[in-house]
Amino acid sequence: MEEKKVLLLKFGELFLKGKNKHEFEKLLMNNIRRKLNGYNFSLQYTSGRIILENYDEFEENIIIQKLKTVFGLIGVAKAVEIDADYENIKKFVSGIKISGTFKVVAKRADKRYPLTSVELERKLGEVVLNSNEKAKVDLHTPNTILYAEVRFNGKCYIYYENIKCFGGLPLGSGGEALLLLSGGIDSPVAGYLMAKRGLKLEAVHFHSYPYTSEQAKEKVIELARELTNYVDEIKLHIVSFTKIQEQIHMNCDAEYMITIMRRIMMRIAEKICKKENLGAIITGESLGQVASQTMQSINVTNSVVTLPVFRPLIGFDKEDIMDIAKNIGTYETSILPYEDCCTVFLPKYPVIKPTIKRAEHLEKFLNIDLLVNEAINNEEVVVIKN
Amino acid sequence: MIFLDNAGTTKMFSECVATYSHFACDEFYNPSAVSRKSAFVHAKLEEVRRDCLKKLGALKGTVVFTGGATESNNLAIKGAVKNGDYEYVFSNGEHPSVFNIARSLENEGKVVRFVGLDANGKVNLDELRNMLNKKTKLISCMLVSNETGAINDVKQIVALRNELAPNALVHIDAVQGFMKIPFSVEDLGVDMLSFSAHKFHGPKGVGGLYVRSLQLIKNIIDGGGQEYGLRSGTENVPGVMAMQTALLKIDVKENFKKVSRLKQIFNDIVATENGIKILDFHGSPYIEVLLFSGVKGETMLHALEENGVIVGLGSACSAKKAGNRILENIGYSKEEIISSCRISFNAYMNESEVREAGKIIIETYIEMLKRLN
Repeated sequence: MEEKKVLLLKFGELFLKGKNKHEFEKLLMNNIRRKLNGYNFSLQYTSGRIILENYDEFEENIIIQKLKTVFGLIGVAKAVEIDADYENIKKFVSGIKISGTFKVVAKRADKRYPLTSVELERKLGEVVLNSNEKAKVDLHTPNTILYAEVRFNGKCYIYYENIKCFGGLPLGSGGEALLLLSGGIDSPVAGYLMAKRGLKLEAVHFHSYPYTSEQAKEKVIELARELTNYVDEIKLHIVSFTKIQEQIHMNCDAEYMITIMRRIMMRIAEKICKKENLGAIITGESLGQVASQTMQSINVTNSVVTLPVFRPLIGFDKEDIMDIAKNIGTYETSILPYEDCCTVFLPKYPVIKPTIKRAEHLEKFLNIDLLVNEAINNEEVVVIKN
Repeated sequence: MIFLDNAGTTKMFSECVATYSHFACDEFYNPSAVSRKSAFVHAKLEEVRRDCLKKLGALKGTVVFTGGATESNNLAIKGAVKNGDYEYVFSNGEHPSVFNIARSLENEGKVVRFVGLDANGKVNLDELRNMLNKKTKLISCMLVSNETGAINDVKQIVALRNELAPNALVHIDAVQGFMKIPFSVEDLGVDMLSFSAHKFHGPKGVGGLYVRSLQLIKNIIDGGGQEYGLRSGTENVPGVMAMQTALLKIDVKENFKKVSRLKQIFNDIVATENGIKILDFHGSPYIEVLLFSGVKGETMLHALEENGVIVGLGSACSAKKAGNRILENIGYSKEEIISSCRISFNAYMNESEVREAGKIIIETYIEMLKRLN
């Protein structure tokens, strides 16, 4: 009887219904291969499951942890692969030691298999009872759940625990977008949430050297690196905002400082999107969090671009955002105390309800096109890989 | 000269020298200062930290750079010591850089327990089981024995900790394991791990301590708060960078296979001489012990050096002391111990060197037997 230790990977069913099924699966397999680059393993596809096998056992935990961050996977199980012939399954299960309460959850994916899922559950439950004196069936709150899945490849997979993955849609299945990455807590979380919905990411960071330090820039590179745990690679555009800020400071009303800054940031972001062929802008804005994130402010900054702007955190409380940041590992870096460009030239009373009309009027005192083009031409690009 | 004392130290890769020089003379800036240059150097150090974690197979935690494994061991153990009714467990097979810390804790009045080794040179798990309880604060043992090459069942030790001593930290001295044998800290489940760069072709005076969390230990020296406050003092940037060069050059899995083959070739030759006994602890292919019946190990060592082969006498750090604590603990007689030499390979030797060394060892042994009779 051949037994083999494998990892059984489960993926979300929702996106698999349409004609895109095959493409999604291929993308998911490729994403898994890229994520586990450098480790020994091989992948086998069998309808509804991916089997990861021939890995080094001492790397099993690392591989599982990495798989958890492959978007599109919903679960991983450490399983034993055996031939699906019933006598064989019976022999294997009779060797399993179980004490206390248990139940068997069987799944017959291959409908040609002579036993139905329910029949298989009953029979295997009986096998466990016969070979374990202290075992007792409890269908509601068992101590142990024994899973047995018969798949189309003629194999049965036996396992105890389903390890939850991050879920979402396969990275790249939704295209690619540009994340405005400030160095705070929110923007990495926004990037993560959109990546989870299938978007690959590039990022743009505005810095104001010498008003802000090199360490502030390094911090943002570090945040981008932490995001690569989920997206594999990020192309980070570092744009100097110093001259633009100085110009606004000299020529515009102080209370509109932030409003106009953000309008110019959005213009630069859209230009980068066009240049890099990216389909949307992502920001970490949360309604009402600060003066620039009121509904009126968002309207005024949004009005300078035509691409969709995704704001996945718009309805989140700060506490909730912090929880996700901690969970995805960006929080500790985000709270490092370096000034970001938004805190330079900060007005005492920023406008809370700006108007497009007033912003447009003030911008007449600036050569916006020149400033935007100059900033983009002088950008520094860092490609960060996981 | 054929060097078979690679457990003592290894020859530094020449690429490491170039890196060292670059970060000593060109990018010489202090990583803690605020200049752009300093920020660059700081970022480079962080890159090495990530590379170390990757090579360690760690998904969480960090690495504190130190001046070598002796310092890492001191930081791990003394940093974990707390006042109160606690117990500390060490193995009898430890290198002096752990064993002597254990001794000094004992002298300070702490409750220190030493677990013995079994016939295979590994920590005796039955004995360990009886020593662990809720008061146990630390279990420290090595991953690979520097004297025998035996590999401890660290996963089992961690499992025993989980079962019986939930308040204890597990620290391993992985000096002979890191970058040599394939493992991952995620798999082993340890809290702390010490390593040293010069054992894997990096510079001397550089090492690190992996910690699963920075909250596990306190600092043992005070100063400017570098390395998360756990190791104050300006970082040894050229050394750490040179270590990175070695880290990135080495393919642990490939080297493991290669050295296993080299050891087999060597053993096949040496085994043809009846008076030479190979002590095989089924552990690391990098290390083994030879017993030369009727000739003292130290005599063999000198004679071999005359003939072009350098071997070791157990731990270089303890080689000058009479007897061998570890082999004695495993159950070898005084005569056997006194006739022992340690052979340790590296992955960058070739087959012909190993064959040649085997041949010289046999010839030298026969020659010494003649001279002694």
